[in-house]
Order: sequence, then structure tokens, then C-alpha cells
Amino acid sequence: MTASTDYTVDELMVAVLAARFDNDDQVCNGISSFLPVCAIQLARMTHAPDLVWIAGASGVDPVDVELTASTFEAPLWRDSVMYLEHYAEFWDYAASDRFLLKFCAGAAQIDAYGNTNNSVIGRYDRPKVRLPGTAGIGDMGSLGKSLIFWVTDHSPRTLVERVDFRSGIGYLDGGGERARLGLRGGPALVVTNLAVFDFEPGSQRMRLVSVHDGVSVADVLAATGFRPVVPPRVPRTPPPTVEQVRLVRERIDPRDFRKRGFPTRRVGSER
Amino acid sequence: MRDKVVSAAQAAALVADGDVVGLQAGPTQCAPMVLVRELIRAGRRDLELVCVSGGLPVDWLAAAGCLARCTFAAVTMEHFGLCQRFRRAVEAGAIAVEELSETALYARLGAAARNLPFLPTRGLIGTDLLNVGNDALAVIPDPFGGPPVVACRALPLDVALLHAHRADRSGNVAMEPGVRLPTTGTMPRAARRVVVSVERVVGTDELRKAPDRTILPGFAVDAVVEAPHGAHPTSLFPSYDYDAAFFASWVDAAAGEQSSGDFLDRYVRGPGSHEEYLRLVGAAR
Repeated sequence: MTASTDYTVDELMVAVLAARFDNDDQVCNGISSFLPVCAIQLARMTHAPDLVWIAGASGVDPVDVELTASTFEAPLWRDSVMYLEHYAEFWDYAASDRFLLKFCAGAAQIDAYGNTNNSVIGRYDRPKVRLPGTAGIGDMGSLGKSLIFWVTDHSPRTLVERVDFRSGIGYLDGGGERARLGLRGGPALVVTNLAVFDFEPGSQRMRLVSVHDGVSVADVLAATGFRPVVPPRVPRTPPPTVEQVRLVRERIDPRDFRKRGFPTRRVGSER
Repeated sequence: MRDKVVSAAQAAALVADGDVVGLQAGPTQCAPMVLVRELIRAGRRDLELVCVSGGLPVDWLAAAGCLARCTFAAVTMEHFGLCQRFRRAVEAGAIAVEELSETALYARLGAAARNLPFLPTRGLIGTDLLNVGNDALAVIPDPFGGPPVVACRALPLDVALLHAHRADRSGNVAMEPGVRLPTTGTMPRAARRVVVSVERVVGTDELRKAPDRTILPGFAVDAVVEAPHGAHPTSLFPSYDYDAAFFASWVDAAAGEQSSGDFLDRYVRGPGSHEEYLRLVGAAR
């Protein structure tokens, strides 16, 4: 397990996400979900060979395929063992307390308590920006899942104190408000192109876990639209292994689709 | 047996101005584009569109001024980006929206299909989508003592529009095995009228060879339109992929009102028939 010294921030994020997946998990992906799909594939090829990937929330346990421009089109679910009908089957399994316990989500805005916005900036009925819509996050946020967020452009615009609109919920205003609504689960991890966060027990506010190579705590605070909880010592995010980087580059995503959505400014140890 | 095979123009006449129209579509997948083009050519107005995850057809209908309202869980063309004309129209207040989570939209359609007043979901609890004056959603107590749920009022459709692989002349519709859009099953059952475009009209005997592929019984289908490549530029698994170059050319055109109108003039209002459309987009390849 030799640590890589030649990796890019997308590969680091893939490794961090992959480490969250266990052998007995079922994990689905939605649209434009390059980093989660890479991470699911990487986990299956390394420490979690029995992890069941539900490609595009439809294709159960497809064979290993190279990533394409879409994470929601046919090539991805080629040779699945089963196709789940989305309404009756997929959402029944997703609504259960036994299956699909982890859900990866991206959003236009994520706030200090892990609430997400993919709906509007400004007024709902006359928005300044009409975003794509909540899709499955408005469900997964309320269904007791462990939510894992990824952010390719960590900035004060994407990580905000309070989202303009809660289209998917995290810990609401924190301090146990989610549990008082009778809801279990909640945000567990936020992996950005600068750092990794979890959520402080009690306050349920986002807490810095580690910073990526070449990024300082001050860099992270300057790029974050709120004051996260910062422990006295913040370690460096562990690098991916040489083998993980090789798998991502050569087998999972040789055409580099995972690099989409990142700012062009070089950060960390990007090549 | 009633022969339900009609022209695209005759099928479009089954959609009236102001209708609530269910549209089968994914971000780049399996939309009845031949029917969508016909609605635009016919100049339909004030449609209330319902789609779970609409993409390019929603953008075209918005650009053509056909829409008064749209109910959706997402409107996006995935890697081709947001639907720019739809987005601008919503931001300008020209199209009203009802945004729902996936389970809430399925609950609304499922309730209509079951002829129930509503179906509940556990999704949406705590979100602002419950705070925007949507009178189709209500948080109600569980009559059996559990936590509250969201009641989602039935959403009956005037007409559902779908695209599939095959149908016979009496409207039995079959699809190849594969990932099936959720709306393929639920929307027709929630709709008063059902219009299906298909790649090929076949004899009933062919459907009898594989009845497990038949997804709609003829009695529930009002009209069938034969249109090979009728989902173009969206994909029809496993028959054909989405047309990436065509999507990209629409994205360029959609940047401006004039250019998007020119695009629709050329590719939608220009061709006199589906065959002419196919020749035109084929020639552009």
C-alpha cells in the first residue's frame, strides 16, 4: 500500500469517498456523478469486492466499465444482473431501513449543517437562478440515510452559512432539530477539492477533518462561506495509494471525465 | 378492432391547449420527440407539462412558448448542462413551476393511477418545498401513530406521451428489455388519453411471441404513431444512443432567444414530416 506522490486532487477525493464504502453496502449514483462512480468502482476493485453498485439507480451490479460522458446512460449499466424499475422497486429499497444506507450527493449549495440547495437562488416563484431541481436529494435527505457530499469547487458560493432554499435537508439548524422531526441519519462527510469535513456531534455543525496536500487551514477558511468547527490540530488528508491512482487512471476513467467541474486554478498537489 | 395508427399531426390533435401533459423523458433518454416536434409545429399553448426528469424536449417546448407550467423533480440535460430556455422562462416568470422530489411526484402520479385522492411519502419532510404554497402537498399525521408523512395529491393527466420500440395497430405497446423510465409505467395509468410513438408498427402475432415485453395493453392506448428514430436526439436503449453532436448544437443555439428560435425553425417547424426531419438531421451528420 505505497502512498502515491503523483496524484491529482480528483484522485485524492475519489480515494477519500471510496474509503467510506464497505463490502456490504449498496450504493447508487445519479446524474453527473463522476467522483462517486469512480469511488464505487475503486471500492469494488479493492477493499469492497461485494459492494453492490446500482448504476443510475437502475442497473444492479453491472460489470466494470470505463466511465463515459454520462453517468446516467446505457453503457454504465451494461451487463447488469437486474434492472430496477425506478418507482416501484428502486424507491422501495431506498425507503427501507435495511438497504442503500449511504447516499452520495452533490449540490449547488451546501450549508454549515449539511442542508443542500439544488432548487433556486432567490425567490422560488421568480428565482434569480433556476437550478435543476431536487430530484432524489429531497427524498434521500429525509429518509434516514447517511449522506456523503462531494464538492469540486469549494468556495464561499458553494459552502454557505445557510442555503437559499432547503431542497434536501441535513441537520436543519443543528442541535438535534433533525431528530426532533423523527428523522434518523443525516450528513456524515463532505469531501471538497480543498479539505474533508464531518459534522460535530451536538452542534451538528460542519467540522474540518483534514486539509489536502498544499492547502492550509487558512486557505480553507478563506474559501468557506461560514466558520466551520476547527479542531486544534488538523491533519493532512492521507494520499491515495499508487495502486488506487493506477486503477482510476487506467481502468476506471482513462478519459478523465472525473476532472470535470473542478476550477482551473491549481490547488493542492494537482499536476 | 379499432386501428389506432395515426399520423403525428393527428396524434398532436389529441393534445389541446391548456392540457396537463405527461411526458416520458430522462436527461438524455427516450422522449417521444416526434410528438414534441408536432406540438411545437401545431403551436400548442398553455400546456402544463409533467415530467420526472425532463431535458431537451422541455427546453424546446419552453423555447417555443408552449408551456404555462411545469411539474418536475429535475429539468436538466446532464452533461449538456441546464435547460437554458426553460430556465430563462422560469426566471422571467413566464413558466410557473411545481418542483417535487422523485417520490412525491411518483406519489402524485401513482395516486391518480390508483384513483386515490393522495398517496403519502416520507420524502420532503423538513424541506422548503413544503413551504412554497404548493397546495398539492400537506404534512399529515400518521393515523397509526408513527411520524408525520407528506400527503401528495393525485395528479391526473389529460394526456401521456411516450416513445417505445413497437406496437401493433390496436395499441398494444412493447419495449425491449432494459432500463425503463418510471414514467413509462405510471404516467399512462394516470392519464385520460395515451399517445405512443414507436419505432415500428408490428403484427399482433409478433407481440404474442414475447408478451412479457408488452408494457401497455391496447385498451389503454388511444393513438400510435410510427416513427423510426422517433426519440432522436434522445436515446432509445438498446436501439440507439443519444446524438451528442445534436445536443451540443442545441446547447449553442439555446444561449440566445433569436438563435434558439432559428434552430426550432430549421429543425422543428421546417421539415414537413418526420421523414424530412430525419433527412435533415442525417444530412447534418
